[in-house]
Amino acid sequence: MNIDNIKKEFPIFDEKIQNNDLVYLDSANSSQKPKVVIDRINEFYTKEFSNVGRSIHYLAVAATNLYENTRSSVQKYINAKDKNEIVFTKGATEALNLVANTLGQKYLNEGDEILLTELEHHSNYVPWHYLRKSKNIKINFAEINEEGEIPIENIEKKITPKTKVIAINHLSNVTGAILPIKEITELAHAKDIIVVVDGCQGAPHLKLDVQDLDCDFYAISCHKMYGPTGLGILYGKKKWLEELPPYQGGGGMIKEVKKDRITYGDLPNKYEAGTMATAQVIAFDKSIKFLESIGIENIIKHEKELIEYGQEILKKNNSVKIIGNPKNKGGVISFTIEGVHPHDIATILDEDGVAIRAGHHCCQILHDKLEIPASARASVGVYNTKSDFDQLNESINKCKKIFDLK
Amino acid sequence: MNLKELYQEIILEHGKNPRNLRKTENFNKDAKGNNPLCGDNVHVYLKLNNQRKVEDISFEGSGCAISMASASIMTDLIKGKSDNEAKEIIDDFLGMIKENPELKSTILEEDDKTKLMCLSGVKQYPMRVKCATLSWHTLISAMEDDGKQVSTED
Ligand SMILES: Cc1ncc(COP(=O)(O)O)c(C=O)c1O
Repeated sequence: MNIDNIKKEFPIFDEKIQNNDLVYLDSANSSQKPKVVIDRINEFYTKEFSNVGRSIHYLAVAATNLYENTRSSVQKYINAKDKNEIVFTKGATEALNLVANTLGQKYLNEGDEILLTELEHHSNYVPWHYLRKSKNIKINFAEINEEGEIPIENIEKKITPKTKVIAINHLSNVTGAILPIKEITELAHAKDIIVVVDGCQGAPHLKLDVQDLDCDFYAISCHKMYGPTGLGILYGKKKWLEELPPYQGGGGMIKEVKKDRITYGDLPNKYEAGTMATAQVIAFDKSIKFLESIGIENIIKHEKELIEYGQEILKKNNSVKIIGNPKNKGGVISFTIEGVHPHDIATILDEDGVAIRAGHHCCQILHDKLEIPASARASVGVYNTKSDFDQLNESINKCKKIFDLK
Repeated sequence: MNLKELYQEIILEHGKNPRNLRKTENFNKDAKGNNPLCGDNVHVYLKLNNQRKVEDISFEGSGCAISMASASIMTDLIKGKSDNEAKEIIDDFLGMIKENPELKSTILEEDDKTKLMCLSGVKQYPMRVKCATLSWHTLISAMEDDGKQVSTED
């Protein structure tokens, strides 16, 4: 599939949004869905629906096979060693909660330390914060540098003999900085530290190879990868998923239930309690096929050109200030306009059909550090074009005019 | 939807040059409010005299044009009113933003009503209603002196 006219694969771009063509620059928040994914959900419910893994009738067996088929596709897409290292969750948030909770139950002890970074999304901070309360765990933060990146030295500096887990973003949803996960993992493993990666922004934009990264856990958000909402993925090394206790209890995750004892199911069922997001999982296979048909190298090249173009024109625009300047950057451009609050920017852009995000993007720690209450963010997906950034720039100029800026 | 209805001259002007953006000396009532989603925050100070009249009112804080303009217009209108009159104006304003097409209070001059009605533009932008109402909820809290921090996310 050619990326140059990929927009036509996404039905939403045929819609008028308040009489405008949609300029969608909010993919870091959630991506739009290609027709193949939307159709798959419809088709599954229309012709093939059944719950998975329970009944032995025809539809149930077929649905189970489809469900497991997506697991295999994900395994290949991220190059995991074993299919059972792929666990479906309700989102990346649940995946990160699962890791923090189960490590807390079995592996972490009072006084142990967890190292995060100032770039973390609340989803990769709040679940660890619970352990502060329940287990007296200490949390440290590796600092960003001037460019809005986390150099490996800043991680190294904060490692102590008590550090047990490093939980880090792969690609910052604010500065776009890509963290050197492979190097961080090498450093961490030399000290027996577990590495948990929040891959929400990494997965849609970067080539994934979890064996090469060698991280212990990698969390993915499917709705940011041209897939359905209500679905996330946790990759975990088999040794950890086998060793750690279950997260939620219920049907599907058990082997044997007696009045006086319960044994748990094998991987991956152990972590998939209750009825899962069946249709979403089955449709997500189409998202992966869609990404594969374009080719991740083409996506990387396309998005790099877009981000470079976007930065170039925004840099030329007086009073626009881009947040961070990481050497290795992907997916997003966050900015402020001197004299205009990000929410006013977003409302004014919205009138032209330009959808961006304004606020702290679930990264309050980072915004506090930068001493700004909020920022505006334009983020890209496969369907964006340079003309989207031209429109963004034009609407920013309108915004400046309303606020009487030069 | 018309953006001009939201970003009218009066709002832009108050947003840029907010009135009473300072801290009242010898204030005897105050409250803080914040909107964690937007990062807006406001601290309202009041000086009520023995006759329960608002001798001075001021605010400190930062936020979008709508929230700054709203706080600015609010402090302008409340100054010099009795606490009961102030409560009536607050109820009237919040009622208008929520559902009423007009302001009903007879305390307000036509001119003041026009200013407040400029803020009615937020009704078309549900996400922005909080920006317009934050300082008003904070003022209620200051007058009740309940020591609660106002948050739009409770
Ligand atoms: C960096 C990052 N981590 C975590 C999340 C949460 O992901 P989910 O919506 O799948 O729970 C997001 C999405 O907002 C994100 O950008």
